[in-house]
Amino acid sequence: MSFLGFGNGQPQLSSEQKIAAAETELDLVTDMFNKLVDNCYKKCISTQYAEGTLSKGESACLDRCVAKYFETNVKVGENMQQLGQTFTNAGKF
Amino acid sequence: MDALNAKEQQDFQKLVEQKQMKDFMRLYSNLVERCFNDCVNDFTSSKLTNKEQTCILKCSEKFLKHSERVGQRFQEQNAAMSQGLNR
Repeated sequence: MSFLGFGNGQPQLSSEQKIAAAETELDLVTDMFNKLVDNCYKKCISTQYAEGTLSKGESACLDRCVAKYFETNVKVGENMQQLGQTFTNAGKF
Repeated sequence: MDALNAKEQQDFQKLVEQKQMKDFMRLYSNLVERCFNDCVNDFTSSKLTNKEQTCILKCSEKFLKHSERVGQRFQEQNAAMSQGLNR
């Protein structure tokens, strides 16, 4: 990105830009964590509240739920990449 | 990506603290909503019944334990994933 002839290959990011990038990354991770908490709660936790503690079944369900959420994340990423490639190739004349 | 220098890290830390405060308020209001919906269904009285209070207590405890456990697994998965990327 040699804009106005200043660039030397690498884009020079200002402090604001670097902090904004770090913020975006933090937001992304926080967002994923919150979704994980919400969705795995819905799928694993009994709302009868017989106990305040997690039952064995709930704990096992949670561990698997988190692992599967990550796996789903990776799979969707792969699929989107593939779709993106098909799309780009189709756009070439 | 370029690492942040000391000044930038300080600015970022401030941002993180603001976000943590907001996150905590959000957690609190979400927990109220969750336990209210799951535990409070009887409106023949304007006071919480004993049963409702017990349910709310267990609901809060369970949710906090839940998010603690999800947090631990989340960190493990994150670490495993970034290790996979660096290989």
